[in-house]
Amino acid sequence: MIEVTNLCKSFGGVKKGLFRKQENPVIALDGLSFRANDGEITGILGPNGAGKTTCLRTLYGLLKADGGSATIDGINVVNNPLGARARLGIFPDKFGLYERLTAYEQIDYFASIHGLQGDAKHQAIETVINDLEMTELAHRKTLGFSQGQRMKVTLAQALVHQPKNFVLDEPTRGLDVMSTRVLRNYLARFKDKGHCILFSSHVMQEVAALCDRVIIVANGKLAAQGTPEELCELGGETNLEEAFVKIIGSDEGVAA
Amino acid sequence: MIISNMSQFNALLGKELKEAFRDKRAMMLAMMMAVMAPVMIFTMSKVMIKEAVETPAIYLKISGTEFAPKLIDALNDENILLFSDVPSDKKTIWDERNLTLTIPASFNQDMLGGKTIEVYLSADYSEKANLSPVRRIKNTINNYTRAIGYKRLLVRGIDVRLLQVVKIIEQDTSLPNSNAMIISMMLGLYLLMAAFMSGLPVAIDASAGERERNVLEMLLCQPVSTVKIVAAKLCCASLIACIGVLLTLSLTSFSVSFIDLTKIGASFSLDTFTILALLLLLVPICFFASALQLFVAFQSKNFKEAQSMVSMIIMLPAMVPVVMMFVDDKPKWLEWLPISGQALIMEDLFKGLPVSWSLMGFTGLVTLVMTIFLVLLMANKLRSETVVLALS
Repeated sequence: MIEVTNLCKSFGGVKKGLFRKQENPVIALDGLSFRANDGEITGILGPNGAGKTTCLRTLYGLLKADGGSATIDGINVVNNPLGARARLGIFPDKFGLYERLTAYEQIDYFASIHGLQGDAKHQAIETVINDLEMTELAHRKTLGFSQGQRMKVTLAQALVHQPKNFVLDEPTRGLDVMSTRVLRNYLARFKDKGHCILFSSHVMQEVAALCDRVIIVANGKLAAQGTPEELCELGGETNLEEAFVKIIGSDEGVAA
Repeated sequence: MIISNMSQFNALLGKELKEAFRDKRAMMLAMMMAVMAPVMIFTMSKVMIKEAVETPAIYLKISGTEFAPKLIDALNDENILLFSDVPSDKKTIWDERNLTLTIPASFNQDMLGGKTIEVYLSADYSEKANLSPVRRIKNTINNYTRAIGYKRLLVRGIDVRLLQVVKIIEQDTSLPNSNAMIISMMLGLYLLMAAFMSGLPVAIDASAGERERNVLEMLLCQPVSTVKIVAAKLCCASLIACIGVLLTLSLTSFSVSFIDLTKIGASFSLDTFTILALLLLLVPICFFASALQLFVAFQSKNFKEAQSMVSMIIMLPAMVPVVMMFVDDKPKWLEWLPISGQALIMEDLFKGLPVSWSLMGFTGLVTLVMTIFLVLLMANKLRSETVVLALS
């Protein structure tokens, strides 16, 4: 379970110093609160610059919130960042691969960091490789992988320790139809096992098809939340895209 | 918990090593120092020995040769020849050096009259290549003059020993090893350079390189403390630096064995004891150098910036020992600081003087403490927001 309460964060706003001009701070998060339950897929929607990535980075413990709190399975990410991260599988918005390692070695590396060892580790790696249908890639060096292949490796390393909570930042960008379906099925199975999945996306059909609950973020605040159907009703539209535009009150977000 | 902590660190270190050893460009750069040092030392010693032992022909422009045939003979005996005899391939060189000796027409007359004869030697004394020829010419002429002078006194029945009021008997207290000073000084410099250079590409790649490839952020999101991340990177880079130092040492001791230093009355050998002491001295430096490089590389925004910043650090091992050569009264704290302390102990070691183990231990300790401080500072920086924001 991931819970965010009244999260505030602003950037910049340096005090006037000898060589610095006074700058107005950029408010990225302005009292954002939401909850992602176990056994559900929660989607975060929001126009570019709404604060999605900042919110997720705060969850990872990379950024420190100015106010409010974020907890993962009840563990506060500020007080016990390592404990919180251990229960988290992360697919970041920017990712790279260790290009001199093979896909298998890279997944192995992250499995070891999460404390897996020996046979259990190899078992876990084999499972995730089979589930994501990437056996052919496994023993090749990741240099020269296509975007979709890179995506798969990153997913595999985020999922290898079977995290209780799973955060994905736009996971389907660059994936072909087949891979997207593999990912969707995989997430659905994860959900059925009682894991908590939080994922941000710009593809409305995908969110509508996959998510049990949707959170719409605009200007660092919660704009609306509910099931896709509820949101459609709220916006008085039949499809989610139109409803989304109405709720955030402009159509700039969809253009991105 | 402790076991899982260790396995986490092992995984981090294992991955760093795998990546480092698969990076062919970095490995080539790392081992370049090790190969370069012995070659340089070998050629330089060869040249030194040649200069010291042989007396190559000097071609001197002499005007008035006909006035002093015996002086010319004396010069010829010392391989100082007339410019008219110069072989055509060396003609331009000796023409440019323009060493001239002018013998006055009154040479014979003055000789008979017992007067002082003035011969003029003109050359560019600031030219380094002229120093040795001028010295040899002067020595030869002085010897010739003294031989005639002694004969004159003897003919008059005077003991030549009367001329020598005080005689200095020189006793050189330097140990036999000291004569190979230049070689050992160069080796010391090279070893320090190797410690700094070998780990360099790996250190930059593991910090600024990973940041540029967006993998650092992912690592920082994992449940692993930043101290462990930094420590793993440091261990990897310094291990490669240690390998570089070890290779430099072994290749040098191998190549020096081909040079006959006894010709210039010097002996230089790297025995097991010296090698062990050197390694003990240099391992902390390897760690310190890598920590310093990682520290600077983590601060810089990209690979390029890291490269130019870190190259400034390489100046340290080259500059510090050279500067110290010019400081005659060395303050005590120089013996304790990293690099300068090690350079001083290495000097003693090469001179064959007894090594102060406690001082060596203390310098090593100071170096290691500074390394640990750098590691903690880096780990702290990686936890701060500014580093994360710089990632994007």
